[in-house]
Amino acid sequence: MAIQRIEVRERVMARNNELAAQVRSRLAAHGVTALNLVSSPGAGKTTLLERTLDTMGEELGVAIITGDVQTENDAERLAAHTDRIVSAVVTGGACHLDALQVRTALDAIDLDRTRLLFIENVGNLVCPANWDLGEHEKVVLFSVTEGEDKPLKYPAMFERAGHVVMTKTDLLPYVPFDIHRAIANACTVNPELEFVSLSALTSQGMQDWFQFLRQATAPELARA
Amino acid sequence: MHEMSMALEIARIAEEQLGATAPQLVTVAVEVGDHAGVEPANLEFCLEAVFSTPPFRGAKGMIIRSAGDALQLAYLEVDDGDPEDRGP
Repeated sequence: MAIQRIEVRERVMARNNELAAQVRSRLAAHGVTALNLVSSPGAGKTTLLERTLDTMGEELGVAIITGDVQTENDAERLAAHTDRIVSAVVTGGACHLDALQVRTALDAIDLDRTRLLFIENVGNLVCPANWDLGEHEKVVLFSVTEGEDKPLKYPAMFERAGHVVMTKTDLLPYVPFDIHRAIANACTVNPELEFVSLSALTSQGMQDWFQFLRQATAPELARA
Repeated sequence: MHEMSMALEIARIAEEQLGATAPQLVTVAVEVGDHAGVEPANLEFCLEAVFSTPPFRGAKGMIIRSAGDALQLAYLEVDDGDPEDRGP
């Protein structure tokens, strides 16, 4: 018997990044902006998307890919708010979506009728930070029921995001959460971050969110 | 779980490298940078779990620490299966 060494030197994420580039290119060709929504479990991604579909679904031609470890519950909730296809990806245990799953899910979406694609990632502030899905931007949802130090504990996610959406602000009078400190912590990790604060339940701040979405779907940005 | 997803991707690359007529894989060496966002001990544990299942037969994971943010499958070691081969 002889042991032979095979030099590989392949980056672990190389294949995913190649697929993500394909997704990005395909979206750009159709003028579709893709936002990758990431957060801890329970930060309010699905509720925010429900409200967004109700108000902006038609105007912005919104399509959605949802990722969950198990069940298609989120996709079923969202499908009740739109006639468009909500593409559900059940990861079967994996803690994040990958670019291959997104590329496959895109096949079910009419991109010619779509201007804005939300990718609702698996609720997890660690792994999804490392997986490029071909999105234009990662948007972190950060609820006021979490600790202000979340950005310091999970810096990679905040470093790689463009916007932070502070959610559940209607609960601020009832929870010991200092939103200014939370924002300062996030800026420590990534000074370029921009913020939107809202409550999808009361609609406070939702107009700021919609304004951000309008800007994000401007044609010159979508095709960039 | 994060490290498990990396281990699965490493297994996919290894399968791709070895092809259909895979010789027996003995060692899977992975370079992990200090800033790769991966816990080396956890990754080693996950590699052991992944490479203990078919088509692999108990290949051993080996972590090579480095500076920076490298995360790559460095090399594979295989047994060529030839009982007469005593090596160089």
